[in-house]
Amino acid sequence: MKIIGIGTLFSGGRGIDAFQQALAKGWQAPSPLACRDRTLPAYQVDLDGMADRTVLKKLRRADKLSKIAVVAASDAVADSGLGAAEQQKMGVIVATAFGAHATTFAFLDGILEYGDAAVSPTIFSNSVHNAAASYISSALAIQGPTLTVTQFFFSFQAALQLADAWLREGRVEDVLVGAVDQVGEVMGYIAASRLAIARDGRIKPFVFSPAEAVPGEGAAFFVMSSRDRGSAYCTVDGLRFHDDLSGPVRSDLDILDADGLSIDESSYISSLVPGVPAAAYAPLYGSMMIGSAFSCAAGALMLKEQRCFASPVPDNPRGLAIVREPADSSIEFIRCIRYNCSTDRAVIELKKA
Amino acid sequence: MSKVEELAQIKKDLKEMLVRDLSLEDVRPEEIKDDEVLFGEGLGLDSLDAVEIVVLLQRNFGLEVKNMDQGKEIFRSIDTLANFVLENKKPS
Amino acid sequence: MNSRPVLITGLGALSAAGATVADTAATFRSGRPGGGPVTLFDSPLAYPAFEVKDLPRTFLREGLRTVSLALAAVDEALQEAALVKELPKFRVGVCLGTTVASQLNDLDFYRSYRSTGSAPLEPVERYLKGNLSDAVARAVNARGPSLTIVNACSSGADAIGVALTWLRNGLCDIAIAGGADELSRIPYCGFASLGIMSAELCAPFDRDRKGLNLGEGAGVVILETAECAAKRGASSDLFLAGYGSCADAYHLTAPHPEGLGLERSLAKAFAQAGIGPGDVGFVNAHGTATLENDAAEGKVLAKVFGPGIAVLSTKGFTGHTLGAAGGLEAVFTALGLREGRVPASAGFRNQDPLIPLAPVQKETPVSARFAVSTSLAFGGNNAALVIGREVKA
Repeated sequence: MKIIGIGTLFSGGRGIDAFQQALAKGWQAPSPLACRDRTLPAYQVDLDGMADRTVLKKLRRADKLSKIAVVAASDAVADSGLGAAEQQKMGVIVATAFGAHATTFAFLDGILEYGDAAVSPTIFSNSVHNAAASYISSALAIQGPTLTVTQFFFSFQAALQLADAWLREGRVEDVLVGAVDQVGEVMGYIAASRLAIARDGRIKPFVFSPAEAVPGEGAAFFVMSSRDRGSAYCTVDGLRFHDDLSGPVRSDLDILDADGLSIDESSYISSLVPGVPAAAYAPLYGSMMIGSAFSCAAGALMLKEQRCFASPVPDNPRGLAIVREPADSSIEFIRCIRYNCSTDRAVIELKKA
Repeated sequence: MSKVEELAQIKKDLKEMLVRDLSLEDVRPEEIKDDEVLFGEGLGLDSLDAVEIVVLLQRNFGLEVKNMDQGKEIFRSIDTLANFVLENKKPS
Repeated sequence: MNSRPVLITGLGALSAAGATVADTAATFRSGRPGGGPVTLFDSPLAYPAFEVKDLPRTFLREGLRTVSLALAAVDEALQEAALVKELPKFRVGVCLGTTVASQLNDLDFYRSYRSTGSAPLEPVERYLKGNLSDAVARAVNARGPSLTIVNACSSGADAIGVALTWLRNGLCDIAIAGGADELSRIPYCGFASLGIMSAELCAPFDRDRKGLNLGEGAGVVILETAECAAKRGASSDLFLAGYGSCADAYHLTAPHPEGLGLERSLAKAFAQAGIGPGDVGFVNAHGTATLENDAAEGKVLAKVFGPGIAVLSTKGFTGHTLGAAGGLEAVFTALGLREGRVPASAGFRNQDPLIPLAPVQKETPVSARFAVSTSLAFGGNNAALVIGREVKA
């Protein structure tokens, strides 16, 4: 399947151009997230400061997670250039590791403050995992199969695998597939309690152990197509899970999703191949279980532009071969590699279109 | 406060409550007319707003709307809502 | 579409209607609904619910009721498929739907955080180990694709549809598919606030229906490619013929009043199965007993199949089990085909003049080769499964 449209929304801005500029510009400091009497560094999306609010007008009562998802999804569809008739038939798969947890906690506030009989039905409705997908389908008038899936670290990869299978079996000709997650006070507390937070705000992906995180939020959506279009970003050539080692490893650049969500991320080292440089972009958008969706967007951009972006935080105590400077280069294959806390692995293999 | 003043205050409170708690876009409280139809064609509220208003009345005025058939009449406009609140709210 | 046959070689069901498929069939014949007051948590609300009373201890996982329910149903289904010991030899996928298990909504954890700014993390750790499909895959040592579907009330049906796609694309040889959900205070309060819960036992499609009752349980099917079944000497006359799913693109909580997405989902499922509505013997409807669902669904079923089609809702026996519903009802649909009969639709008394059909009011024989299970979800998604039975000459 080919990637024919991308939409991203993260702390650094909205739209694939903003993402490309962020990749070119390099590391930016996160902002403080208030957690009671202390603050955490976090990469947070500013919806209020967004210039074009057209799509948000259709979602007056949506929560932040749904709004983030709809903006990214809508931009991906616009970027793909699909017509209204094609758009109406497409499938939708939304991947999320945690869903609208901030809204769930707001609903629990209602129970604790007002009792079981006076909770808000709107907040409840927004807290349901598939609310974001529902807003996407109604805001974009998409009437194809619409799924929300969750698989923690591999939520995005599993969604991609399903999108590919839908295209192969001819269930749909195009799929809008993406991932979304958010930060929030309680999740900030959980992250600070379970993980090492990088107090200087810099995720250092190549330190591996002890790894430090900076929570992030955002959405990256893709229009995947089985059609043959001239303007594709790249092809998703394969997805490998766990111990699937079949076939040769073809890679000109490996993007590691090391971002401090496990304290020890040394497993990534075993994935590296001699002679293949590595890069890691989580320091731009933050630590997210669905961060692989952003690596996939970075990989797609690099294959399209035939240009490597530098790793934004190049601390490299092991002296690994990493991309230090942006450079035009001839890249055929990129792998996006993600490990979970149990050292299982999922790899997205991208190929030049 | 006279009944007339009280009713005017309730209407103002209700309009602010609807705009704020139903997250109405591009509508200011003072723009809602007292007799404007709230659901469907008028202000464009829907079934989810209706059940939200039930909770808002409960939280803000201590009022119970027992069933939605009754609700349909009460929720027709700001006028009908305000009258319901005035007639049923507990004396403060 | 690829038409590689996919057999159903095992069924597992656990709900207020019974701890096993056989128990459930007995409850269906008795016509006795199992709903009553909530005992699993305290709440001042007094809506009846359908709780699972006899969850076998072997499957209990502390603080993970949904996973426990799923493991019980998975075990039953694997037993029937004769796969309990054999499983690691095959590429096995796990695709289960849920709603409650996907949410970090532990009220004690949150209450503690709210009042003191800190809280013990055990509920969070449990949640992080409780991804439904992963937890089941680990428990049965399945190493194929694993995905949890969180599509609200159609999750279980969608999960079975996803597994069908996996099998037909060669991503696995066997799939454990369906749904599970526990009764939880959070959606109990939420559905009450939406004004769609009934204080009486639910009455799907009835003129005087007052809303749904929540339930809990797990429904699981073992799906496998015909090649895989043949290779291991297994057989089944039941097969999964088609799945269709379409969004209404209409509203967050209300179904499209004309059931647009459901009608399209049925058409897609028929196309994949290569059949028409005339080949279908009965429909296990979503039939939640809310005013809106039953009106929209009844209209579509009457339009697509004609008002004479045998329709039933099993929600009168199980309550609305949310993420489990599509899984349980796929099992009930397969059971109906296998037994050649469907039970009376529990809770129904009088036809609604606004719904152009009435559900079956007594145990009804069925002889057709195909049956359909429909699901309509919160959020406007719809799903239809076509299940078939090979009639031996």
